[in-house]
Amino acid sequence: MNTPQHPNLHSSKLRNELWLSLLVLGVLAVLPAFVQSNYWLGVLIVSMYFAIIASGWNLLAGYAGQFSLAPAAFAMLGGYSTALFAYHLQAPLWIGLPMAAIIPGLVGLVLGRIVLRLSGAYLALTTLSFAEILRLVIYNSIEFTRGDQGLTVPSLLDDRVAYYYLFLVALALVVGLIYWLLRRPMGRFLQAIRDDEIGAASRGVDVLRYKTLAFLISCAICGFAGGLYGTFARLVSPELGLIAQTGLVIAMVVIGGMGTLVGPLIGALLVYTASEVLRDVGNIQMIVFAFLVIVFARYFREGLWGLLRRSMLRRALAHRKEA
Amino acid sequence: MLALDLFVNGLIIGLYYALMAVGLSMIFGILKVVNFAHGEFYMVGAYTYTLISLNLGVPPWLALPTAALAGAAIGWLTERWLMRPLYTGYGSWGLMKDEYAVVVTFGLSLLMINLFDKVIGPYPMRGPALWDVSRLRIGPFMMSGQKVVTAVLAIVLLVGLALFIKRSLWGRQIQAVAQNRLGASIAGIDTGRASSIVFMASGVLAAVAGALLAPVINPAPDVGIFPAVKSYVIVVIGGMGSIPGSILAALLLGVLESFAAVYLSYDYRDTYGLVLLILILMFRPQGLFGERSREV
Repeated sequence: MNTPQHPNLHSSKLRNELWLSLLVLGVLAVLPAFVQSNYWLGVLIVSMYFAIIASGWNLLAGYAGQFSLAPAAFAMLGGYSTALFAYHLQAPLWIGLPMAAIIPGLVGLVLGRIVLRLSGAYLALTTLSFAEILRLVIYNSIEFTRGDQGLTVPSLLDDRVAYYYLFLVALALVVGLIYWLLRRPMGRFLQAIRDDEIGAASRGVDVLRYKTLAFLISCAICGFAGGLYGTFARLVSPELGLIAQTGLVIAMVVIGGMGTLVGPLIGALLVYTASEVLRDVGNIQMIVFAFLVIVFARYFREGLWGLLRRSMLRRALAHRKEA
Repeated sequence: MLALDLFVNGLIIGLYYALMAVGLSMIFGILKVVNFAHGEFYMVGAYTYTLISLNLGVPPWLALPTAALAGAAIGWLTERWLMRPLYTGYGSWGLMKDEYAVVVTFGLSLLMINLFDKVIGPYPMRGPALWDVSRLRIGPFMMSGQKVVTAVLAIVLLVGLALFIKRSLWGRQIQAVAQNRLGASIAGIDTGRASSIVFMASGVLAAVAGALLAPVINPAPDVGIFPAVKSYVIVVIGGMGSIPGSILAALLLGVLESFAAVYLSYDYRDTYGLVLLILILMFRPQGLFGERSREV
């Protein structure tokens, strides 16, 4: 049984998570002083790319309880939105990059409007089908997208450290946006919909409107991350939207802690850097992460952040008893 | 003549799809969750059949029941290890029921794909055909022996499943659980066992579909993804949880793809299902044959 939480307690919990997120971002901000190698800077940049997507997906899945299985597909769509504008129209990036958020957002709006009227498994089913088929269309439209060769994208900055801070600023903005949304009535409505959709509707929450809004924002965040990633890698390809990439995002959120502000950050940084280490051990990253997802979902539903918080609480209680 | 040929071919493809989709639909009808590892049950069937008949020299018609057994085993394991908390309940639901099922089965799907990739290797293999006749004349139609075997076996399995659910005691218990799990358990039905049987039957159907397609699809670790996506589309089109609906939707999709691949574009043959899905969701979200569900 879920114990009902006092509203003040709830907002103090969220504020604690904000402080912890700021701590994580602060550590990321000073890391380039210690990490000199271009390779590891690149790893950290990609893990921030995943942290943005994971945060966007978590807003929808963790806070609103709507399981999209297409975060990677929307990131791919965002990447291609930027790339197609640059490749075919020679549009500058200040037009192309916003498109990476606008186009996936609009697609999310239309898809969400159709699917979110229905509850439960429909969203997961439709988004998974959508993800695979979008990838197939991009793969097959060779004249337009160059198929699996991918499209080249102009670079935004030359310096890798500059890119690092660009991603850090983007990540901070996304975390800030999500915190801001959660503090507003919309955040409460989304969590009410997650916990009891019928109950929320009976209290006058416009369920469809808030679910669609959350889907739109989540898709736009994922797309924006994809666009930014495209300019960093200077290439977008259908591989960005593989199911395995979505699996990685879900692994990050579930391992870090679903429905928490800081969980996706911890999860993305840990899982992605661990995957670089495991790559040397013998390409067993996905086996390990998929196994961890199952074990965490089955036995530790609050993720690493939840485990940490619980052990801190227990220690605090023990202290109080002793005193 | 071409149109009729396409129609018959479409029906046969539809029967393959039906083998996949019916198992998924059954699980939804009874546990109210979607199994996102369904494509990997199919992959297990294709690999078991191929590896056993190639490496051990077992004749294909003996390898087929082995594949079915493997499907049943994987279904049973999934239900016992991962699905049980859905109805035995948690101490606390950190995740809601639907969300738990999505995460855990999606994780299982990834685990199996990557495990098979690591253990067996990513390279596609080629499974032997059950009936190695490439050109067989039946009335006005020319088709391969494998297609005929598939069509016949699919019909036998689907009819057998229908009889099992309608007539047998276990089948009736499953129906009762589907209608009202709590009521069924009050009436003394072992709901856990009923769920196990459903998962095993679903695994058998998917594994047999995979084995039957092994000579065509060339088993590889990710071979289940697209058949699974097709099954999801079919289950929604047919009305979630409706077995006759799934069979009809599968046949419909098979015929539609068969025609569209020739008259529209072959490259995009896998996308027509999604278009149909979106149309259905817009105009008839309960599916073609589904009823609006009533919650008690």
